[in-house]
Amino acid sequence: MSAYTLSRYASLAVKNLRRRAIRTALTVAGVGLAVMVAVSLAGFMLGYRGAIDRSIDMLGFQVMIMAKGCPYEAATMMLKGGTGLLYLPSDTYEKVKRDSDVDSITPVFVGVAQKEGSGIRDDAQEAAFTVISGVEPSSFLVMKPWLKMNEGPGYAGGRWFAPGTTDEIVLGFEAAEYEQRKVGDAFYASIQPAGKPDSVRHEFKVVGVLDRTGTQDDGTVFMPIDAARKAFNRPNQLTILGIKLKAFDSFKLREFENRWLKLPEVQVVGLQQVKNTLVGLVGTAQTMIAAVAVIAVLVALLGVVNAVLMSVYERTGEIGIMKALGARRGDIFELIWLETLFVCFAGAVAGSAAAVVGSGLVEAAIRGLADLGVSGSIVRITPSVVGGAVGASVLLGFFAGLYPAWRASSMRPVESIREGASS
Amino acid sequence: MIKIAAFVLAAALPAPALGAIGCTLTNPAQDLKYLYPELSSYKEELKEIRGLEGGADLFAALKERLGGDLDPIYETLETPYTVYSVFKGKEKIGVVHGVNVPGKGGVIQVFLSTDPKTAGIRRFFFQRLESPEAKALRDKAFRAQFEGLTLADFYKHDYYAAAEPGAAADKVGRLRLGEGPDHGAALRGLRKNLILLDFFVYGRRFEPFFERAKAAKAKGGKP
Repeated sequence: MSAYTLSRYASLAVKNLRRRAIRTALTVAGVGLAVMVAVSLAGFMLGYRGAIDRSIDMLGFQVMIMAKGCPYEAATMMLKGGTGLLYLPSDTYEKVKRDSDVDSITPVFVGVAQKEGSGIRDDAQEAAFTVISGVEPSSFLVMKPWLKMNEGPGYAGGRWFAPGTTDEIVLGFEAAEYEQRKVGDAFYASIQPAGKPDSVRHEFKVVGVLDRTGTQDDGTVFMPIDAARKAFNRPNQLTILGIKLKAFDSFKLREFENRWLKLPEVQVVGLQQVKNTLVGLVGTAQTMIAAVAVIAVLVALLGVVNAVLMSVYERTGEIGIMKALGARRGDIFELIWLETLFVCFAGAVAGSAAAVVGSGLVEAAIRGLADLGVSGSIVRITPSVVGGAVGASVLLGFFAGLYPAWRASSMRPVESIREGASS
Repeated sequence: MIKIAAFVLAAALPAPALGAIGCTLTNPAQDLKYLYPELSSYKEELKEIRGLEGGADLFAALKERLGGDLDPIYETLETPYTVYSVFKGKEKIGVVHGVNVPGKGGVIQVFLSTDPKTAGIRRFFFQRLESPEAKALRDKAFRAQFEGLTLADFYKHDYYAAAEPGAAADKVGRLRLGEGPDHGAALRGLRKNLILLDFFVYGRRFEPFFERAKAAKAKGGKP
């Protein structure tokens, strides 16, 4: 078929579709809706994986060593204000540090402190808690070289703790915003030393506020690890060892794990596994939504087949006349087929555009429904996603148009004209 | 094990933080009902000094009336302020307003509920206050001393301090104020709150008292 003939068919197909504008618009809207759901879902899958990758990579560690049972305790504490974390003996740090596969290692001590609550009532103040991370800046910054001091208004002159200090803290960006602290402000926290019945109120000085990183560090209060251990009365304990290996692959990680799992009190967690698990946690929900999207696409396609078939039946007489005037079966077939493809193409373009424009709303809705625990954009609609959606829609339209086109092209001219005249 | 670790990491990742540096009630509906049990409705209005006529001049006026520099983060021309008007039926029974002032341990949020007719303090309270002085500042008896005072009383205090130190009519001079930097910050916040309410709600009705105090200071050369 020449380009000229194709353009004539295309023009005729468009005219036919415009003759029944409302039906065409509704059919296109059906396809568009299905494509919008599919594109949004694909964008979410892509964006969420990317967000997890970024969040985990920004942890700076490849492997963590923590006390057995620690994750459960930590989760309980964070979600329900439980009694505390489990801790590793601090000599684990010295042991693991000597491992020949370790490129860099940093110890982290995590504790929970109570803060004065806020509220206007005289009778009750809501309790507030803050998570304090005791770190050793020299090794911690090797893991996270991107951590920089913020020099914005109120934060100028920030620095890490001076060696040996016990009363200096550094705030992550969001912690500083939330706590409404500037460099030089005091920070009060009540810490319950292990084994003691009463909390001790501490006054710390904010010596630095970090730039925003988009990670969990933004919400963290950092203090020198020795000072934190002393304040919590756990001088020989730590919570996590963050580790980077010289060569990081699954084989090396397995070897490393086997070596250190021999210690009775520790567990070794590779962050690649954590990454996969986080993806898996929403995988089921994504599969269910994908199933809904597939059903929506199928329903939309049935709608397209139905609309085009109705159009074919309504134009029986017209098709008969076309045939009587010399149109071949192939001509009729191509005309109807083109109409189907146009409907699918228009729906795909409209649906993709709506998905792109509404991606912010979809992101807000997903975040409103569930805390996915990652920062950064979780819906990422790329040109390849849009291209794939449009291509798939046209391909499906290709098949959806076969039956109506075959049906129209199989009509006998005389019968069709008679049938058309009587209807 | 990995699932639990992943869960912990997910839980550890931060929730979005508050970005605005204005001062609003955490839970206006509950808080206002607590302050005014007879409340039937309330209205929230966002005010900015720059949005008022002659905003830049008013900002300079605020600085002058507070008698010192303003904080470059929490007390800017663009800082939003929320004024809550409280109604019982159609009658306006209260005006509630809060301000941020820098304290030793971060921001102190100083709130006032005022009588819409007299502009006098009905209740003085704190929302956010982290300080070793918090117990003394939140003490009911301490706060009750301020009930009934208006901005005029603070301007009169400035006048008496300059012209007639120790005058019996100086209500603010008779207050039993505590010691410490956060007591100073809280009092500054209370005064700032009254000045802003005068700008935003009460039509600058107390300006004559300020002018009088200013003239007395200029004449007497005292602070």
